[in-house]
Amino acid sequence: MSKDALATRVVISLMALGAATTAACAADFDWKKFQGKTVTFLANNNPVSQALLIHKGDFEKLTGISLKVDGYQEQQMRQRLVTVMNARSDEVDVFMSLPSREGEQFAAAGWYGDLSTVSKNEASKDYDLAGLSQALLKAATFGGKLTSVPLNIEGPILYYRTDIFKKCGVEKLATIKDVEVAAQKIKACDSAITPFVSRGLKPAVAYTFSNMLHNIGGSYMANGKSNLCSAKGKETLDTYSRLLRDYGPPGVVNYSFQQISALYRTGRAAMSFESSNELRTVMEGGERLKDTALAPFPAGDAGQVPTAIGWGLAVSAFSKKPDAAWYFVQWATSPEIQKRMAVQGIAPPRPAVANDPEYRKWIDEEPVRKQWQAALDVLATKGSSEVGYPIVANPESREFIGQAVQDLILKQKTVDQACADADRGLDALIAQK
Amino acid sequence: MTPAAQAVRPDRQRAELAALSAPAVLFTLGMIAFPVAYTVWLGFHAFSSTGRQSFVGLGNYSKLIADSEFWHGLWVTLALYILSLVLQLVLGVWLALLLFHAKRLPGFVRSLFISPFMMPPVVAGLMWLVILDPSIGAANYVLQAVGLPPSEWLASPIWVIPTLALIDTWQWAPYVALIVLGGLQSLPPSVYEAAQIDGASAYTTFRRITLPLLLPTIVTATILRSVDLLRFFDIIYITTQGGPGNASNTLNIYGFRVGFEFFNIGYASALMLTLTAVVFGAVLALNRLRGAVAW
Repeated sequence: MSKDALATRVVISLMALGAATTAACAADFDWKKFQGKTVTFLANNNPVSQALLIHKGDFEKLTGISLKVDGYQEQQMRQRLVTVMNARSDEVDVFMSLPSREGEQFAAAGWYGDLSTVSKNEASKDYDLAGLSQALLKAATFGGKLTSVPLNIEGPILYYRTDIFKKCGVEKLATIKDVEVAAQKIKACDSAITPFVSRGLKPAVAYTFSNMLHNIGGSYMANGKSNLCSAKGKETLDTYSRLLRDYGPPGVVNYSFQQISALYRTGRAAMSFESSNELRTVMEGGERLKDTALAPFPAGDAGQVPTAIGWGLAVSAFSKKPDAAWYFVQWATSPEIQKRMAVQGIAPPRPAVANDPEYRKWIDEEPVRKQWQAALDVLATKGSSEVGYPIVANPESREFIGQAVQDLILKQKTVDQACADADRGLDALIAQK
Repeated sequence: MTPAAQAVRPDRQRAELAALSAPAVLFTLGMIAFPVAYTVWLGFHAFSSTGRQSFVGLGNYSKLIADSEFWHGLWVTLALYILSLVLQLVLGVWLALLLFHAKRLPGFVRSLFISPFMMPPVVAGLMWLVILDPSIGAANYVLQAVGLPPSEWLASPIWVIPTLALIDTWQWAPYVALIVLGGLQSLPPSVYEAAQIDGASAYTTFRRITLPLLLPTIVTATILRSVDLLRFFDIIYITTQGGPGNASNTLNIYGFRVGFEFFNIGYASALMLTLTAVVFGAVLALNRLRGAVAW
């Protein structure tokens, strides 16, 4: 037997042994193992956690674990988390985290517990870790450690009014240039309608801007330096800000998802480039149910590279009950719970849920839901989780992107000045260790 | 009781009082002193984005002097402070005079006048955010209805400070009015009777009698509003988060973002201590003024 063949046999044997061990663990799995314990969950009070926590009672009944929920709005949740983690306190066992935003930072600070081992060895037989979006699991893995498990998948998509498109003679949107042409036609055809709306609020811009940058073929960094002044970077800054300045609503520099969805839902905007999570809000009241179509943002020179991110559940590195905490994470990200959340409009990070009969029935009820699912499929397969700079100081990097875009919307700088100022600040940020 | 025993008794009473109140005094001092001391300590340290800390002495303060965003934040803070204060004092005094002289005003109308400051700032901020929205807000609808051009309000780098000052004035001018109304009600009627006998006009009476006598009350209101205005945060955070660009980025907003969004707690502490020094400076100066105008 050759050395290679021997090595192959050894690896196969070890894999079989590993699989057998995992299967044995799964068979022995006892949901009541931590009965009587209390797990504290620091939650962002958003639609994702709301959809999850409706089933809180089921978790407590299944495991006998008491779930104490500490819920705040996103920014306040982070403030609390920073305070607790800096104090190395065990007050929080599980917390919600956006790996695309704070993953590098929290991982470098050592705030995440390592879920790599427990997710394989301490899982019930129907958990199916491999069934979760591999792209999102990869985005939550830092230094070889799995730091959180995805709860949902989301990204910016284009909501557009089919009736206005028809009235104004707008064809199907295939490219970013088509979006601008459509906006021009709508502006000329119906002055009462805002042709295009997306994020203009400084800290919020990076979410939608990143999608356009990647579609155009740009990148945030090249050779360890900020790359906004590259040809593609400048093209994106120019296009994004021009769309908002010339075709967006007045005051767009203060627009984030709340204002965008409100404007679109009330029938005052023809195109809205906003999060897939906003489907429920946009369709509230049913006015937009029959005249709206959805699609991933049209292609640029690099095709379609949508932004795809997801909230994850992480176990605190300072938790004194990490095993019980993992039980909650496991339950919340299990196929059954993700299916239940999906029919409440929370896009599942498990592709298999899309084939579930109950979910399919919900999807088939409205054409717009089918388009939503189709757009999410594109996000799941082609998506990039890079929102802002892939550095530890990612949240701060988003400020510079937002500032450059606002400077252009408000005509306070030229594209060259705006990108040069942003690159200068970003290079300093990148250089920070 | 001998005179000697009488002398000893107050001393003993004082000692007993001191011993009994010591725990409460120490607790209160601790509650004030510890956070301040901790913030001072934090201000001498640099924190990386990952939470690592290192002693930098006065490094954060020298960084602050070279930080253009700090100076911009200071300028925005002072501009907003002066504009809001002037508006609130003028409107507050006017409203107080109105309430003082309109004796027959029904109670609920009086309550309505002074109700805005009872509203939580977050609610007030959200309410004004909707009213001032350039696309769907009522403010532009009203402007256009009377033939005026629409404004971008909070979305305009030029108008954002005056707009924020107006929102704060809407909320807090009634509070100034309430303080001034108390001052008006305590003025001696004999002075007004003498002025009436001398044939002084309403304007002269206001300028020569009411205003000078009210000055200590107005300065008290100024001190109270100064402390709040220099730390102005909630409505700005709700409505603009310091934008557009950095047009409404006050020191307080800047410090908050540095500390809680970028996790540089050391530099944020230095910023906040500097802001505290500005507030203290203003209060001390106004206290001196209060002493000078007392009657």
